[in-house]
Amino acid sequence: MIWTALQAELRRELTQMLRYPTELLSEALVTGIIFYGIFLGSSYMAGGSILGSRLSEIIVGYALWTLMLGAIGNMGWGISMEAQNGTLEQVCVGPLSLRAIFALRSLANLLYDLLLTAMALLLIIVLTGHRIDFSPLEIVPFILGIAVSIGIGYLVASVTVLVKRSNQFLNLLQFLLLFLVMTPFTDLKGPLRFIAVIVPAGPQMGVLRHLAIGQSRFPGEAMWLLLAVVNALLWTFAGYVAYGRVHELARSRGSLGHY
Amino acid sequence: MLLEVDHVAKRYRKRDGGEVPAVRDVSFTLESGRILAFLGPNGAGKTTTIKMIAGLVRMDGGDVRIEGRSIRGSGRVAIGRLGAVLEGSRNLYWRLTPLENIEYFAGIRGVPRARARERGMRLLRLCGLEGKAGETVQHLSRGMQQLVAICSALVHEPRILLLDEPTLGLDLDAADRIQAQVARLAREEGVGIVLTTHQMDVAEHLSDEVVLLREGAVVLHGLTQEVTRRLGGDSYRFELEREPGQEQLARLTVRGALFDSPRSFRLLLREPRDFYAVLRDIEPIGVLGAGRDTADLATVFRHYVGNGADGEVQP
Repeated sequence: MIWTALQAELRRELTQMLRYPTELLSEALVTGIIFYGIFLGSSYMAGGSILGSRLSEIIVGYALWTLMLGAIGNMGWGISMEAQNGTLEQVCVGPLSLRAIFALRSLANLLYDLLLTAMALLLIIVLTGHRIDFSPLEIVPFILGIAVSIGIGYLVASVTVLVKRSNQFLNLLQFLLLFLVMTPFTDLKGPLRFIAVIVPAGPQMGVLRHLAIGQSRFPGEAMWLLLAVVNALLWTFAGYVAYGRVHELARSRGSLGHY
Repeated sequence: MLLEVDHVAKRYRKRDGGEVPAVRDVSFTLESGRILAFLGPNGAGKTTTIKMIAGLVRMDGGDVRIEGRSIRGSGRVAIGRLGAVLEGSRNLYWRLTPLENIEYFAGIRGVPRARARERGMRLLRLCGLEGKAGETVQHLSRGMQQLVAICSALVHEPRILLLDEPTLGLDLDAADRIQAQVARLAREEGVGIVLTTHQMDVAEHLSDEVVLLREGAVVLHGLTQEVTRRLGGDSYRFELEREPGQEQLARLTVRGALFDSPRSFRLLLREPRDFYAVLRDIEPIGVLGAGRDTADLATVFRHYVGNGADGEVQP
């Protein structure tokens, strides 16, 4: 059932993307230009020579930020679009819960976003001749970071189901998320370190930062990895539970499909 | 029993903290291959009941069982046996073609792609839409979109189909095609259908049974033919010499008169002596003819619902 549904979501996304190639091309172009800008910008800042390890950190951070934004936006914006278009209730009438369907939808979107980002990055690397260091180990905190975004996506979807309009909220959220992703919370000392543990994707970004600058070994590595798992579980669970509650509230109010 | 709606009730909370009852007490059952017309004026609770059956609105009381399974407990499994086309809702992804929509809805309901494609093409063929399988839904007419929505709701072979105002706003040809499909589904495929509509001719033409709601409660439940036959003896037709004025019209409206033309109306009389009361209501207009008539569903509807029950109850 889940596999069939995931295939259906993957096909739906791909079909819609390919049906309007100009949208896909412009998205790819914007991603490429931003990556190119980061490469050029970092070269300029460094006075002509590329900031090897620092650049990797920026690129990985940016890639994670865009993927997280995509996952969060797809949940929040997607649910309001579905309600507006009248398909939300239709999707609900079936053996899978809306919560499960939106998780699959996020996964499908993420796979395509990841593919698009990887292709844009690869193209820029080929064109500029620069290289970034990406350790296979980075995949773990990267995936955990994306899991956090699915949790936040559920929270945004909860807000959307309740108030129906979340576009302004989403605009604000992307800056908040950029702040969270780019701030080295794990460098905080003493009790403030607790902030790094609980902020969304805090430990994940800490681990990624170390790995991206070539430190496969760093102080407290195992602990931060464990905290990254805990953080991902915490946010995903919080979002999942909150959405479940809000969905029931909307059913009780009879406002699920209203917009 | 295919569907059992057992004393369901729903109250919506108002902004001021008060509550407004949308559905007070609704019960009915549905068997395979039967079409049940679920009628009532605006705000009677039809859509809320349909949405409670589909699991989209949580009921406050009562239960809904699909093939014996309550939607409260093993809800998702039971709801998987349903298909629904909801009113005022587009129900489809406009950027996808009819076949892609059908395949998608089949997929999220657990039907593998190859089987969904095969069933989808069959359904589209039956609806005369095989030539439109590759066009995006946004380019189809409203009637065709509605037919595609019905095909999408049927692709997982549900045992029950909920249709909320399926012919609303459609031209005659499209409405006829939908009616033909609804009848075929019930008679040939044994699907149990709950149909809400304001079009009494559609309900009368299609339905085996009728449930009439007023202010969230069932006021009439029976076989369509039986209901119209039973009330037929009480149905009268009046032909007037000229159009009634405002005052006479108001009195006749209260009695539930249904005008076929400006000078001709039908109504159901509770007692034979009401006949003379009607004559007094239309006085001094001359009467060209008056006598017993066969009742249709529209007359029955007017008789039970009248014109004063049009209070909207919306969440």
